[in-house]
Amino acid sequence: MNNKSDILVGIDLTKTYGELEVVKGVSLAVREGEFVSLVGKSGCGKTTLLSILSGLEHPTHGQAFLTGKEITGASEDELALFRRENVGFIFQSFNLIPTLSAWENVALPLFPMQMSEAERRRRATELLDQMELSHRLEHLPAALSGGEKQRVAIARALINHPKIVFADEPTGNLDTATGDAIMAILNHLHRQKGMTILMVTHEPELAKTADRVLRMQDGEVLS
Amino acid sequence: MYYAYILKELRHHRHRTLVNILGIAVGIALFVSINAVSTAYQQAVSLPFKNLGADLVVQRAEKRAVNSSQAGPSMRGIRLPFSNQLLSTDDLDKLRIFPGIDAMAGSLLLWDFDQGGFRTIMGVDLSQPSLGPVHIKEWLAKGRFPDKKGEVVLEKHYAKFHNTGLGDKFTIGSRSFKVVGLLEIREGAQIASANIYLPMADAQDLVGNESKSVNLVYLRLQNPSRLNQTKTEIMQSMPGISVVSSDAILEVMGGISRISDQFSLVVSLVALAGAVFLIIKTMLGNLVERSREIGILKAVGWTGGDVQKQLMGEVFLQSLIGGIVGVAAGYLISYLLGYLSIPVTTPWEVNLLPAFAKETGAAAQMIRLPVSFSAGLTAAALALSLLAGGLASYFVGRRMAKMKPADILRRL
Repeated sequence: MNNKSDILVGIDLTKTYGELEVVKGVSLAVREGEFVSLVGKSGCGKTTLLSILSGLEHPTHGQAFLTGKEITGASEDELALFRRENVGFIFQSFNLIPTLSAWENVALPLFPMQMSEAERRRRATELLDQMELSHRLEHLPAALSGGEKQRVAIARALINHPKIVFADEPTGNLDTATGDAIMAILNHLHRQKGMTILMVTHEPELAKTADRVLRMQDGEVLS
Repeated sequence: MYYAYILKELRHHRHRTLVNILGIAVGIALFVSINAVSTAYQQAVSLPFKNLGADLVVQRAEKRAVNSSQAGPSMRGIRLPFSNQLLSTDDLDKLRIFPGIDAMAGSLLLWDFDQGGFRTIMGVDLSQPSLGPVHIKEWLAKGRFPDKKGEVVLEKHYAKFHNTGLGDKFTIGSRSFKVVGLLEIREGAQIASANIYLPMADAQDLVGNESKSVNLVYLRLQNPSRLNQTKTEIMQSMPGISVVSSDAILEVMGGISRISDQFSLVVSLVALAGAVFLIIKTMLGNLVERSREIGILKAVGWTGGDVQKQLMGEVFLQSLIGGIVGVAAGYLISYLLGYLSIPVTTPWEVNLLPAFAKETGAAAQMIRLPVSFSAGLTAAALALSLLAGGLASYFVGRRMAKMKPADILRRL
């Protein structure tokens, strides 16, 4: 780690698939409480870089540190446990489990943990209440609108009190108004609660709402 | 493991769940029915011996069988059967103290030829009330079993054919007897099935048996699992003695009884392998369908073990339900098959009929397959269903553990 306030650090990260080099020697750092957006065209390597930095994927070369711990050499299960305790994810396609209700989807990261059903439900209900979805607790994802699904996904990302939230095109599947509402929630989380957020987007206008914008092109971070 | 998630998954994917449950149920039903019917076959075959409370029937082959140059036997009046001879006192003493023998009873089988045909007469040892032909007193339809000389019990149909009833006088040879009981021969009684039953002393008098001997001995063993060993030991130490057990019936019957016995295990294992194959195939197919779900679970912090436990919970429940349905279906099939009657052929040595009647229909008796519930078979079937599920989830779990969340989510 170069700096104590850096919650996320990537050093010379490279990822290749066969002959194709998707991420090319990227180095970056995100400070605690910072909202950083990573912007670039589709296929430029944004999502792959986010996967490496969040511990979903190993880089071909380089090192990544999250909350001071090197994650690049960890096993799949170690990474899973690390993600459970430190990381929240928001995906473009919401990625909710269709057979579980809204509150169960929110509580999904807690299921493998030793915790009572009542406690899981209490925590999920509290977050859904904050997302103004307390009337949708028992609804299945199929019964929710796109905006509601993404709010459920945001609540799920927050259930384990993460130190950083990774958002991959969080408004990509939403109309403008709903997307704005989701961005308002992310901004609220950042400004009011000091949440560290790394957001990937291909929309420059959305990226501007972040504290800092990193531009990516052909696998390299330009700024 | 989140039980509500398991139930919701199974309920949501009804078709998939049904295929898995049915796959296991079919395999287990085959396993149960084959084994239950096979066991029933064994029991049907052993029924003639079981009905007498005996494990072995001992007799000594007729003298003429050793030297066939002698004149042919007489076929008039009351006589010993052609197939055996009286056992000597020495024979009986040896058998009485033979190692592993729990109880012994004798009977004297006689044939009575007259112009109208023949009839079988059984002299019964009343001193041993739970072994040998005396055992069939439980089948009395009317009256009682003889308890003193001069009394007889007639087989019901034989009595009806001769217009004889309870309390009537009945003549055998030149002697008159009182009919004190009528009995109904039930299935599986062919090795003790006679027309007339009377006390041993009367039977011995009828044939002029001054040595007071018998020609059939029934043995009950202390340890029935040593049956073949004891049988061999008796035959080795007493040359010329014939020892028959229910195995002889099985040998005579051959065919399906042997196939059932020899192949039930193989067929059971094939059925089990089929169930495992089906569930693995279905679950591997499910993996593609469920890869998104697995990717999400892993992304939000579920370890490979957590995901595998959840999957195993689903498989366990399906296997258990499949096992229970399979056991129920297996027994249903078995009980339906139990309505079938199978011909149980009596081995020549213990067939009480004269040679000319041995090959007739009367020589074989139809016995309904005695299918019964077995706690051991049920437990084995359920254990196998869970084993099938365990094997399936092990192989599928290995595939699943290799799935990386980023690879899955990238494909979505």
